[in-house]
Amino acid sequence: MLFCSYRGTSADFGGKALRKKGSSQALSAGSRTRLRRLQHIRAVIAAAKQQGPQDALNLRAGLAVIGARTAGALSRRLHLGGGTSIAGVVAQCLYPDIVKHLASQVEYGSITVTGTNGKTTTCSLIAAILGNSGLRVWRNREGSNLMRGIASSLAMHALPNGRLRKSGHAISVFEVDEAVLPQITRIVHPRVAVFTNLFRDQLDRYGEVDSIATHWREAIQQLPSTTTLVLNADDPTTAHLGNDFTGKILYYGIDDPSLDLEAQNGRHQVMDMRTCPACASDYVYELRFYSHLGHYVCPKCGLRRPKPDVRVLHAQSESFDRLRIQVESDEHRQEVVIALPGLYNIYNALAAITTAEALHIGWESILTGIEQAKPVFGRGEYIQAEGRTICLLLAKNPTGFNEVLRTLFSNATAKHVLFLLNDNIADGRDISWIWDVDFERVAGYTQTLVVSGTRALDLALRLKYAGVAQQEMTIVPSLPARPQRLDARGRKAPQQNEHATQRSYGLKSALNTALRQTPPGETLFVVPTYTGLLEVHRELEQRGLTSHYWEGAPQ
Amino acid sequence: MIEDSLETEHLTLTLGHLYPDQLNLYGDRGNILTLQRRCQLRAIELRVVGLGIGDALAPDEYDMLFIGGGQDREQAPVAQDVCELKSIGLWAAVEDDMPLLAVCGGYQLLAHYYRPAEGPDMRGLGVFDAWTIHKGARVPRCIGDVAISWHGSTLVGFENHGGRTYLGKAQPLGKVLKGHGNNAEDHTEGAVYRNAYGTYLHGSLLPKNPHFADHLIELALQRKYGRRSQTSTNVQLTTANASASNGVTSLAAAPQEAATLLSALDDTLEWEAHAALLERLGLHDAAAAALRTCTKPVSAFQS
Repeated sequence: MLFCSYRGTSADFGGKALRKKGSSQALSAGSRTRLRRLQHIRAVIAAAKQQGPQDALNLRAGLAVIGARTAGALSRRLHLGGGTSIAGVVAQCLYPDIVKHLASQVEYGSITVTGTNGKTTTCSLIAAILGNSGLRVWRNREGSNLMRGIASSLAMHALPNGRLRKSGHAISVFEVDEAVLPQITRIVHPRVAVFTNLFRDQLDRYGEVDSIATHWREAIQQLPSTTTLVLNADDPTTAHLGNDFTGKILYYGIDDPSLDLEAQNGRHQVMDMRTCPACASDYVYELRFYSHLGHYVCPKCGLRRPKPDVRVLHAQSESFDRLRIQVESDEHRQEVVIALPGLYNIYNALAAITTAEALHIGWESILTGIEQAKPVFGRGEYIQAEGRTICLLLAKNPTGFNEVLRTLFSNATAKHVLFLLNDNIADGRDISWIWDVDFERVAGYTQTLVVSGTRALDLALRLKYAGVAQQEMTIVPSLPARPQRLDARGRKAPQQNEHATQRSYGLKSALNTALRQTPPGETLFVVPTYTGLLEVHRELEQRGLTSHYWEGAPQ
Repeated sequence: MIEDSLETEHLTLTLGHLYPDQLNLYGDRGNILTLQRRCQLRAIELRVVGLGIGDALAPDEYDMLFIGGGQDREQAPVAQDVCELKSIGLWAAVEDDMPLLAVCGGYQLLAHYYRPAEGPDMRGLGVFDAWTIHKGARVPRCIGDVAISWHGSTLVGFENHGGRTYLGKAQPLGKVLKGHGNNAEDHTEGAVYRNAYGTYLHGSLLPKNPHFADHLIELALQRKYGRRSQTSTNVQLTTANASASNGVTSLAAAPQEAATLLSALDDTLEWEAHAALLERLGLHDAAAAALRTCTKPVSAFQS
């Protein structure tokens, strides 16, 4: 382990950071033998132990940092993944308290963002705002939102002496998985804790929606009253998380009645939270924006939406991915342009603005931060391919999918679409939620439609029952069924039916088919689940069409 | 006379969907959509009536009943309503051979009781001689893809339940081929009493199991329009969709005479999805059999 870590360190980091600091000469020299290095580090540990416990801890952290960075570099080199999680795993193995050790060194403290949908975009908006205000912003990367992802993001910013690099004027923004939040708040007390929303997602992994709410209440109990909570007033569960919290709470919400679902001619919409947590009676909605987000009141016990501190008075869509909103807080009223598609991004922007308000950041930084924000990984991201534009719109749960469909099909022009439904662990093994998604919107509004992924046939079936004719969609499953290749005894099976024999398989051919069907100059909308998004990115990357997403990881 | 009525009369069925707002966690809408569409393609009008908490259940107004699954928090008031308000209606319907499908939480509600890890038992209706025990957070939930055998064919779906159900005298719906089933111990899955079916399979259940969906529709039609003799081959139901007539049948494997009333539909995609899941579970022979189902010639109208 140690041997390879030194070799990796000097090879992959070029010893750049290490050479600057004298404390780690042992590592910068590439020509020494492995054995001598090991002997040296043992001597350093022994010396440090004599000096005092803090140094020993720093040293241990330093080892963890080296191990983590090496593992990350190796993993990237070998293309085992983004290289972001493995680094954290190694760091935590070598020093379980690494997160606490490093996070406490960040001068401006940390912000946590959690919720079912909108975590990544909200984090990136917050980071843009804080960056504009002159702070140095450190984030964990998209998708690495478990403890190990946070550990790795910190380790990547640390020096081999166990100290953070440039921790002055720095603030960390952590995207935190819904179920992991209590673990994080046990060791890191954020200055601001943001809760975006709570929807049904990955029931096979998280259990029921209620159990996530219980985790969150547990996490909030661990927070000191110096933390500010930023809560979505329009989401009943999220809004009432702070009922027993003694610190400051800021709420955000939408006050524009024209966004009401009924005013927008909304169709079937699932509601994942429809009963009052206090008395279990059904909420009554004055306005409902999507799923269970809106202006609600409990008719029995009177529990109602709190008045938001930061609110959107009016929102207007200027084009597919340009929204103009009127934001009002107690002191300000401001027009903000969001260069992202969909109603859900109004909430993401609001969450970011409210966080900035909690940190007393000036409006100038907020405005430019939000206007300049680029779509993050797979959330409205554009990639040019073979004269076509690919627009990636991640959709990983019923509400997310419904909102993506609503955004896509809100005007009457028919689109070129590729759906990718996977049921890998990171997507959730259960795909029955597709039956709660409003795919009826799709029927008649696609010019060309390709359905792919490990559960392509399930999705095709869902689309068929939504009224999409079978001949209008091309089904490209991940793998052919075995009976279509060989029967049980290994003989070549007879031709099963015309659909099956025409079929091609795998993401590569799904993407090729979809691109071929999209005329040059037009846009292909790719709507994948989480691992589908990773696959598409990898495939496009191999064609040289997009940058390696992990390159930007440590800054 | 029955044949006449079938030929001339406009067939209508009414589906009572119990607790659509409370028990809708696992894509139960797919089951309703499937029943609706499969009826519509055969020119049978299927009305769906939602029955929430506080609504009375008059059994003679319905031809079919469906109950889905929900969260624990929402299940408690539902359990109370089932026992207090709907119990007589439900019992009457079941004893009168009305087809009923209860999935997951709904299945548990129709057994004797649900014993949570902590707290008092939740009483059920006792339609199925079975009971459910939640053995606490340490015992893992039964989660994953599942396939069971059912009358010479297969049913596939996804299960996700913490409680484990044990059958008394109740007949199981099928034998577990892959997955957990009722309790991950005795290889049984689901329960049957008369025409009431309880199961843990969602995913949704009916879209990928068109033979089971048709079986339920068939039972409802037979119950409403009379049990017809099996020898009549001249009955042709009007087919709403032209694509259905050039199609292939899915009904060969359905039990007994169930295939006789309904015209065949093009279920190629349904059976492919069904087979794909069997394939993933390593049940290659069953997958091949399922694919053959959709290539068999139409046999629904032969005696």
